[in-house]
Amino acid sequence: MMYSEQGFTRFLRSSEILYLFLVALSFYLLFSSRTGEAHTVWEVLHPGFIPTLFVATSLLLVILLTSEKVAYKLFFIIVHSILVHSFFSIVFPVGDLSGQQIVLGRTRLIYDNAVLHGWPPWPVETIESRIYLVFRGENFLGALSVAFARMFSIDLLWIHLFLVPVLWGVFTPIAAYLTTSTLTHNDKVSVLAGLILSAFPYATYFGAISVHNSLGYIFFFYSLSFMLRSLNSNDFQTKALMVVFSFVAFLAHYLTGIMAFSLLLLTLAFRSYRGNNSSSLATRVSIVSSFLISVSLLPLSLIYLRFFRSDTYTSFTLDKLYKLPFQEIVGQFLFGELIYGSDIKTILLIIIGPTLAFFWMIRLLHGLKKGRRRKSRTRISFLFAASLVMLTDYGILKLFMSGLPLNEERLWVFRDFLAAPFVALVIYEIVLGVKSFLSTRSPAFSIAILKAIKIWPKALPKGLVLRVEGLLFTGLLFASGVLIPVFIAGWMTASLSVAYPQVAPLQTTWYELEAVNFIEKTTRKKYVVIGDQWTIFAGEMIVGVNNPRAFYFIEFNKTGYDLFVKMKENPSSAWMLSAMNYTDTTVAYFIVTEPRLGATEFNSTISKALQNGLQFYGPPEGFGNGKLYVFYYEK
Amino acid sequence: MGSSCRFDEIEQTIAYNKRLFFTFCSFVLALVIYINLSFFQWPVIGIIASIPYFLINGIFFGYALFEKEDAFLRFMLGVLVLVMLLGFVGWLAVILYNLDVIRFTLVLLIVTTISSLLNKRKKKNDV
Repeated sequence: MMYSEQGFTRFLRSSEILYLFLVALSFYLLFSSRTGEAHTVWEVLHPGFIPTLFVATSLLLVILLTSEKVAYKLFFIIVHSILVHSFFSIVFPVGDLSGQQIVLGRTRLIYDNAVLHGWPPWPVETIESRIYLVFRGENFLGALSVAFARMFSIDLLWIHLFLVPVLWGVFTPIAAYLTTSTLTHNDKVSVLAGLILSAFPYATYFGAISVHNSLGYIFFFYSLSFMLRSLNSNDFQTKALMVVFSFVAFLAHYLTGIMAFSLLLLTLAFRSYRGNNSSSLATRVSIVSSFLISVSLLPLSLIYLRFFRSDTYTSFTLDKLYKLPFQEIVGQFLFGELIYGSDIKTILLIIIGPTLAFFWMIRLLHGLKKGRRRKSRTRISFLFAASLVMLTDYGILKLFMSGLPLNEERLWVFRDFLAAPFVALVIYEIVLGVKSFLSTRSPAFSIAILKAIKIWPKALPKGLVLRVEGLLFTGLLFASGVLIPVFIAGWMTASLSVAYPQVAPLQTTWYELEAVNFIEKTTRKKYVVIGDQWTIFAGEMIVGVNNPRAFYFIEFNKTGYDLFVKMKENPSSAWMLSAMNYTDTTVAYFIVTEPRLGATEFNSTISKALQNGLQFYGPPEGFGNGKLYVFYYEK
Repeated sequence: MGSSCRFDEIEQTIAYNKRLFFTFCSFVLALVIYINLSFFQWPVIGIIASIPYFLINGIFFGYALFEKEDAFLRFMLGVLVLVMLLGFVGWLAVILYNLDVIRFTLVLLIVTTISSLLNKRKKKNDV
């Protein structure tokens, strides 16, 4: 017995060391995939990375199913989670070409002390607009990024790139653990939930980009966890934490805040349900009315956003219902944007987890109906109601509203958070089922099979029968200990192919960054840069947007866009002078990039600029071996 | 097992905070971060000063708010609250004025004060 325990401990430690080695190797392979010019991570990912990650994930799952300490298991999951959420930040020079660059553009203003008298730094006409701008999540994320950048004395770019992947990687597995632990009181299921969250593509994607919405999801998940705890507790601290996390989720992003407040209302109703007789009419009415208020909070808040933000045109509509065919309405409700052009593999990987969880919730509710496990029933009912709130809100936003300021699919991340504990429960039940089968019924099962093929007991000698029994036993052991982890690891690895886009525009390139850095380092006077939106993305990573010293127009600014189009058609000093006058600067630069414009337009623009007497700035051969040229003009 | 015990001991020592020694350490670390930001801007100093700052204040928050959790979770949740508070006080500074080096140092000092007060209140309640 002693020997077998020692052997097991040795096996466990060896597995853990091997796992850490594989994760370190995965990080190395990810770093070696780093590139300065690519569209997607898949173009440049080292061929050895995915197999290594797959083996590491399988091994981690095996470790999670052992009796190892929870703290160690959570540590291993956190390392894994940081790895799978860092693809963009490690592979691309400045992360994904998306909202995170826009956010960094504004955060730079805080970091470089360009904001001197409170946010927003520009004049605001009404008090409502000021309230809206003060509570925008960009400010909270910006403050946090700047705080970390100042603490570590590391440039804001690096802090911003890794802020959400690291915070998400560290804290969402713990939130999943806490939520599942409150629900099941089973450590193995709870740690499994922490890992299984990485199998949900939408959650993985939002954990990989540093935008305020992602930060909001993290705090929402904690508010959910404390809501679940508060259902069966009168502890003041738990209730206070539930409210505080909801408020911070709101500060980080209004979507996550509103959803947290919706569920807070639901929590209050379920708390009264716990206290009263569940069959009383008043309790039922209270739950139904809370559910309706919770469901309507998000759509109504989006409608009334127009009081605070003048350029909002959200409204209720029946247009989609009238215009779309019935199949498309159902398809949109169930699968959203996936029905347009997504392959079956993508759809399956996105919906399999939530669907499994939804049916498991129903099964559990049905199973607990006659039981006396009131606490479990309240918690599962609450999570089921929360899932219905998400589903109904998604349906309303998708089919009955237009002019939304956000993509409805962002609600799927909430759905994924709610689903993770139940998916972990399903997996654990399967493993448990196989193990219990092994321990109690394997000999009888073997004999039954042998009987079924009519070779027992006469046809075969006893030794061979024992061998067949052993073979079946080994097969089942293999299934529970190896096949199930391998299957789940395969699912999780395949999910990454959906989480990280397969098609994307060219990411910010090394030569765009080099040009922007070159201008910043070599210009002593105030300057303005005229360029396409990709140049602006690169510029805002380094100096921010609307920086009075180094001016890049905001991405979708009409003046900036018009200036670029005019310069492209007829590159002349007149437009550059006009840009300088508009921005109160003394030097103007014009940047053209071959992969963005196309070779024909690129060459034609350069020829026209030279004919009009504009001069190159920087190396005569341009940046990126002639893929990018900078022209300049000084007052 | 050994490492867990060692962490428990460290946590107990910091959370006990005899004569506010670790509160004082935390203030000194904030000062080191300020001096580094103002004169050197070396990441090495920043990282070396920030790690114990996170450790001390994370333990303070964890001990004060999540006593029932086990040591690892208590510490991690404490760090989460610390991050949240850094963001919140930083956000207040941004919307009211700005987050330059001096105001950022004030943010660190405010957060340290809050964590120490919570820890002290917890100890008082325990007694």
